[in-house]
Amino acid sequence: MGAVLAYPFYSLVRISLERYGLFELIRHHGVYIGLANFGTVLHDTVFWHTLLRTFVFAAACVSLTIGGGMLIALLLVRVSGWVRILMTSGLVLVWAMPPVVAVQVWNWMTNVQNGVLNYVLTELHVGNYFQHNWFASPFSQLAMCATLIVWGALPFIAITLYAALSQVPYELVEAAEIDGAPAWRVFKDVTLPVISPVLYILTTLSILWDFGVFTQVYLLIGQAAIVPANYLMSIYVFEKGFLISDYGIGSAISILMLASVALMSVVYVRRMLKVGEIA
Amino acid sequence: MRLRRRVGWNLLGLLVFVVMVFPVFWMISTAFKPADEINSFTPTWLPVHPSLQHFRDALALPNFWADVKNTVIVVLVAVGIAMVLAFLAAVAIAKYRFTGRKLFIVLMIGVQMIPGTGLIIPLYVLLGRFGLVNLTGVIVVYISAVLPFSVWTLRGFLIGIPKELEEAAMVDGSTRLGAFVRILLPLVAPGLVATSVFAFITSWNEYIFARIILNGGSSQTITVWLSYIFGSQRATDWGELMAASTLIAIPVVVFFLIVQRRIAFGLTAGAVKA
Repeated sequence: MGAVLAYPFYSLVRISLERYGLFELIRHHGVYIGLANFGTVLHDTVFWHTLLRTFVFAAACVSLTIGGGMLIALLLVRVSGWVRILMTSGLVLVWAMPPVVAVQVWNWMTNVQNGVLNYVLTELHVGNYFQHNWFASPFSQLAMCATLIVWGALPFIAITLYAALSQVPYELVEAAEIDGAPAWRVFKDVTLPVISPVLYILTTLSILWDFGVFTQVYLLIGQAAIVPANYLMSIYVFEKGFLISDYGIGSAISILMLASVALMSVVYVRRMLKVGEIA
Repeated sequence: MRLRRRVGWNLLGLLVFVVMVFPVFWMISTAFKPADEINSFTPTWLPVHPSLQHFRDALALPNFWADVKNTVIVVLVAVGIAMVLAFLAAVAIAKYRFTGRKLFIVLMIGVQMIPGTGLIIPLYVLLGRFGLVNLTGVIVVYISAVLPFSVWTLRGFLIGIPKELEEAAMVDGSTRLGAFVRILLPLVAPGLVATSVFAFITSWNEYIFARIILNGGSSQTITVWLSYIFGSQRATDWGELMAASTLIAIPVVVFFLIVQRRIAFGLTAGAVKA
């Protein structure tokens, strides 16, 4: 089984060192060209811009997810029982939504003619959003993707953090409050140390997921509207590999992309091994 | 003072609930609305004249049933095979020590973390080499996609079972296989159900591999079908689209509700103790 997992990696490295287009795909083997693919990719400004954009995008998604999840978890601790049950059921329902379905709902809610988002924002006097196009610029396209991704990821983070929060000894919190510690000090010095292992793993997981996100971005922006100005790494791999059918270049980009998340994976694997107590 | 604060938190909680659930509510509400209510510029929150017309139309859309059938076959075969393999692998790493065990585990957790798009090119090329650029290829990919997670979760269920139980059965004259079938299997059954449901959901929801491997051919999985059905133009029949979306989400939601509690902590298992 180790071989089954390792073989695609081996192929990935091999293809990245070959000229591998449609012709080679049909012939089933490529032509060795050394590091030329990597040279091409690294000299392409699109690559660097995409890498930077992906980092910023992932960072934004992760901070919103973890921050929002933390706030929802803290809120879950404070509300009455029936509100908590309602909120938890709502979160689980959202968690269960298939991403492809969620994309269609987003399309409908944000559509230019009569999307409900424009209607609500106008009614709430946030501004005049009548027939506002949410997909007009790369920034707002990606911002929309971020809302979709954060919405989908919040339930898992919030519920897991809530479970972790319930491990915090109530006496400690109470003692700190009696001693007159302000709420944020109680959170920082009492709550945070207890939940930090969970927070740590969730953050790592979120970074890995958001860095490699494809489905939501590809479908929400839509094949036709995808241009280098809104590329994220996995979209870039897809466009180079499958639309232009340059599998060699695509593999080189894949390797560079995997290398950028490899560090994060190492952190996660080490932590999992530690908590799995198998060493 | 304390009571008033509690009321404030509750209101905030309800607001969060409304904002989070709204998209799901809107999907279902739209699916039941007749076309004139959908196309109106001032939306009504609930359907004024609810109708099932969109569901009927969605079910009659080309290829809906064919692609549901494809998906069910792909998912059942993939999950079935993956569970047998995962169970055997989990028994191996939970119950026995062997050379390379640790490396195996590291590889497994590591692979699980890799963005799928990173490996899609070699997988596609390899599948092409074996003539598997079809539904069978999708099955193969789904098996490998759900394996690492399944092995890891099942291992968690297995290490909770004391070795003495099995040994006791063998002392009482049971064979190794007998002890396995009669003692280990029933004990781990709930874990097996939870893991396979999770694998089911993962495969049912999967998009990119199916999209690339099946590449617009006549057989699709249901997620690819949903993304194709109205093309990329934004002037679509929203009612039908929302009805179809609701139908596709239902099996996932149902299964999800069954296993949510069991699986939720798999990814962070034991983190609190560390």
